[in-house]
Amino acid sequence: MSDVVVIGADANGLVAAHLLARAGHKVTLVQEHGARERTSGWVPAALARELALDVAVEWPDPWLRAPLDGGGVLELWRDRAKSVDSIRRLSARDAGAWPRFCERMSALARLLERIYLEPPPSLVDLRFALRVRRLGREAMEDFMRLLPMPVAELLDEWFASDVLKGALGALAVRHLHQGPRSAGTAFRLLHYHAGSPSGVFRSPMSNLAALLHTRAGVGMREAKVSGITVRGGEVTGVVLDGGQELRAPLVLSAADPRRTLVELVEPGLLDPDLLRALRNVRARGVAAKIVLTLERAPEWQTLTLAPSLDYVERAYDDVKYGRISAKPWLDVMADGASAEVHFQYAPHEQSTDATIGERAAKLLAPYLPPIKQGKVLAPPAPWPEGQPHQAELALDQAFWMRPLPELAGYCTPIKGLWLCGQAMHPAVAGIAGYNCAREIGRA
Amino acid sequence: MKRYDAIIVGGGHNGLACAAYLARAGRKVLVVERRERIGGAAMTEEVFPGFRFSVFSYVVSLLRPEIIRELELPRHGLHILPLESTLTPLRPDGKAGDYLAQWSDHDQNRRELARHSVRDAEAYDEFGLLLHRMARAIKPLLGVAPPDPASLDLRELWDLWRLGRYFRGLPEKDLHALWKLLTMSAADYLDEWFEGEALKGTKSASGIIGTLLGPRSPGTAYVLLHHYMGELDGVFRAWGFARGGNGSVSAAIAAAAQAHGAEIRTQAPVSKILISGSSATGAVLDNGEELRAPIVVSGADPRRTFLGLVGEQHLPDEFAAAIRRYKFRGSSAKVNLALAEPPRFICMPQPGPHLRGAISISPSVDYLERAYDDAKYGEISRRPYMDIIMPSMLDPAMAPPGKHVMSIFVQYAPYHLNGGWNDARREELGDTVVNTLAEYAPNLKSAILHRQVITPADIERIVGLSEGNIFQGELTLQQMFFLRPAPAWARYRTPIRGLYQCGSGTHPGGGVMGAAGRNAAMEILGARA
Repeated sequence: MSDVVVIGADANGLVAAHLLARAGHKVTLVQEHGARERTSGWVPAALARELALDVAVEWPDPWLRAPLDGGGVLELWRDRAKSVDSIRRLSARDAGAWPRFCERMSALARLLERIYLEPPPSLVDLRFALRVRRLGREAMEDFMRLLPMPVAELLDEWFASDVLKGALGALAVRHLHQGPRSAGTAFRLLHYHAGSPSGVFRSPMSNLAALLHTRAGVGMREAKVSGITVRGGEVTGVVLDGGQELRAPLVLSAADPRRTLVELVEPGLLDPDLLRALRNVRARGVAAKIVLTLERAPEWQTLTLAPSLDYVERAYDDVKYGRISAKPWLDVMADGASAEVHFQYAPHEQSTDATIGERAAKLLAPYLPPIKQGKVLAPPAPWPEGQPHQAELALDQAFWMRPLPELAGYCTPIKGLWLCGQAMHPAVAGIAGYNCAREIGRA
Repeated sequence: MKRYDAIIVGGGHNGLACAAYLARAGRKVLVVERRERIGGAAMTEEVFPGFRFSVFSYVVSLLRPEIIRELELPRHGLHILPLESTLTPLRPDGKAGDYLAQWSDHDQNRRELARHSVRDAEAYDEFGLLLHRMARAIKPLLGVAPPDPASLDLRELWDLWRLGRYFRGLPEKDLHALWKLLTMSAADYLDEWFEGEALKGTKSASGIIGTLLGPRSPGTAYVLLHHYMGELDGVFRAWGFARGGNGSVSAAIAAAAQAHGAEIRTQAPVSKILISGSSATGAVLDNGEELRAPIVVSGADPRRTFLGLVGEQHLPDEFAAAIRRYKFRGSSAKVNLALAEPPRFICMPQPGPHLRGAISISPSVDYLERAYDDAKYGEISRRPYMDIIMPSMLDPAMAPPGKHVMSIFVQYAPYHLNGGWNDARREELGDTVVNTLAEYAPNLKSAILHRQVITPADIERIVGLSEGNIFQGELTLQQMFFLRPAPAWARYRTPIRGLYQCGSGTHPGGGVMGAAGRNAAMEILGARA
C-alpha cells in the first residue's frame, strides 16, 4: 500500500514523484512507456537544488546554424560578440540590432521564468499586475505588445535578413499548428528563451529524466494504467492493465488531461461542461521525426533549414489543408554519425508517411555527409495526437487558461487527483511536475 | 484672422462627432475637410447618373446609441433600415445549388440551421447568448479613454483602478471566455461550437474584415465580437442601412454640429499643423491660409497626422518609432455595381426578402483561408470573400425605377500588391469579383450597367486612409485599447500639448461607430464619458 501513485515516467512525473517522496510520501510511479534519455527544456536552479540533482544542461554552441544561399552559414553563439560577427556578414544593420534585441527579449524572458516557477496567476491577480508594472515602462510595453504579436512582425521590426528571421521564426512555431505570421507566436519565441542565456532562443537538453529514473526513493512499476478509481468524489487509486489495483488517496497524472479525465476516470463523474471543454482542448501534432545514420560525423552539432519567414509560412499553408509540407522547415541535431531531424509540418495522421524521409533527405543532401540509413519515427505514445505539449501552447491555452481555466491549478474536481503533465502550466518538462508537487504540499 | 477654440482636421464621421460634442459644450469649432464633401469614408455619391452609392463604408451597426441619442441624429435626418437576413450561397453544384440563410425570425432561423445540422441549431442560441454577454461585458470599455497601465498619473491610476474593479466584478467564467475571444482564431473558436462549414465560414468572415489575417490566425475571434457589438435601437446584433446611404450618417452628425454652432469648411486641405514650442497653435491650409486655435484635433489616421501634418522633428523619438511601426496593411476593396435587374441566385432565383439582407460569399472557413493565402503573398484573392448588400432594395431612391445598385465589399485585395496597383490590376480585381459572383448568380454579368472598382490604393488616394486600411490601422490585439495607436498615448492626447486625435486610429477603433470622436471630445472637455 502506497500513499501516492504517479502515472507517467516523463520528466514531469519523475520530478513530482521524487519531490513527494522527499516530503515523506510513499510513492509508486507507474511507468507506462519507457523513459526517454534526454529531456528538452530548461531546468531551474531551484528544482535541481530541491532534488539535490547535479543536472547536465547543454545547448549546442553555436545554438543555431543556418546555411546561406550562396554558400556560407549564419551562426548564432552563446557568445554575443561571435553572433554579431556572423550576422554582420548578412547585414550590418541586423548585427547592430542584435545585442539590443537580446537585451529586450531577455528582460521579458526573466519575467516569464518567474511566472513559470509558480502556479499560473489568475487573470485578475493584483500581485501579478503589480509585478508586470514593476518591470518598468519599456519592458512592460514590450511584454504587452509582444504577447499577442505574430513572431514575423516582431522579427520584421528588428531585422532585415531573411535567413535570420526565417530560422528564429521557425524555432518559435516548433510543434505549433500555426505559421510565423499567425498572431500570438512571438510569445513562443520567449517561451523557448526562458531559462536560456541571453541571446539563445532554443531550449537546452538535459539528463533530468535519466538521472531521476535511476534514482532510489520511488517505487517503479512498469505497467499500463487502465483506470483511475473514484469513490464518493475522492480518488482511491489506479487500476493496472492486468486488473491489479494500486490504492492511494493521492494520484498524480502526467498523462494528458483528456486521457486522464475522459478515458481513465469512469464516465459520469465529471460535469458535462468540463468534458466538453476537454474535448475542445487543441492538441494537434504537426511535426515528424527522422533519425538518420550518416557515413561519418558532420563537423557541426546543429543545422536549421528555414531560409525565410515566407518559406516557413508556406510550409504551414500545406498543413492547414491537411497536407505534409512540400517544403518543410527542418532542424537537425547531430550526435556523432547519427542525426535527428525535426520535420515540420506534417499532420499527425501522416507523421510516419514514407515521403517524409525522402523529402528531408533531398533537402538536406547538400549539407550532410552521405546518408546510410534513415528512419521516420512515430511520435512517443504519451503525446496526444503527436503533440508534445499535450495541449498546444498558444495564448488561449497558456497561463491561467492552461489547459482549461478549471484545471489551471493542477487539481481536478476529483479530490486527490492532480494533473502534472506538459498540458499544465508552464509546459516545460519537469517544471509542471515541480509546480504540481509544491501545490500538493501547500494544499 | 478668425480665432477658434478648436480646429478639427478632417470631416469624417469621427471628426464631425467630435466637433458636435465640442460645439454642444459651447466651444467655437471649425471643421476643415480636404475634399469637396464631408463624411470621409462614410459618404454617398451619385457615381453614375441616377445611381447612388455608399461608395466606401456601407452598413451601420456599430454607431453608438448614445451618440444617436445625445446628438438627436434622427431629428437631423438619420433613418436606419434594418438588414434582416444573411444569405450564404454555397458552391453551385449542378443545377440546384444549396444555401445557408440566417433570418431574424428565430424559429425560421432555427429550422434553416437544423436543415444543415441539428447540432448547430441546438448550439446557436447558446452561442448567441454568450457573445451577447461578452459584448455587454466589454461595452463599458468602448466609451472610455483607455488608461495606460504603466502610467503614474493619478487620474489614469484612478481610471485603471475603476476598470480593474469592473473586471474583477465580472464572473471569472466570463473573463476566461473573454480571454479566449481575444486570443483565439475565429476558426478554432467556432469549431468549439459548430460543425456546419457554411455557418462557420460566414461567422468567421466577420473576424477577418479590415485585417490582413486569415480566419485561422489567432486574434480574429475578437473581431467576431466587435461585429456582435452592433447595436441598433438598443437591439444587439442588428445591422442596418442608412436611408440615403452612409453619407446620411455623416450629414446627420454634421447637421447636429452645425445646429450647435460648429463651422464646417470643405475643400480646405490642411498642409501642416502649426506647432510652437511643444504646443499646437493651429493649422495651415494648402493655400497658405493660417487658422489659429489652442486646440487642434486630428481625425486623420496616426501616420498622416504625425508623420505628415506634424512632422517627426516635433515628436519624441520613441513615439515617432511607435507610429512608424503601427500597422495598416489595407486588405479590403469595394466593387459598386449599377444593375438593370436584380441578381438571380441559383439557390434562390426569385426576388425575395433575401435581397433585402446581406449576401455573403463565404461557403467555408477553408474558402476564406485560401483567399487569405493569396493575399499573404501579395496577390488578389483568386476567389475572394464578399459581403454584398443591395441598397436599392431597401431604399428605392438609391437607383432609377426598376434598376438597382449593388455594394460588394471584397477581401482580400492587399495594399502591398506584387508589382503595385494600376488600372489593369484594378480591372482584374473587378473581373475576379464579377466572375466569382456570377457563378452564384449567372444573370449578373448581363445585368451590369456600370461598374466602379475601388482598391486599397484608391481608398488611400481618395479618402486619405493610409494603405487603404478601413479601420485607420489594423484591429489586432497589439494595436488595441491602451496600445492604440501607441503605448502611453491612447487617451486621444499626443506628445504635443493641445493636439488631440479623434479618428478610428484611436480606441476603440473602426467601423462607423463615432465612439473615438465622442471620447476625444469628452477628454478635451475634461468630462467623464
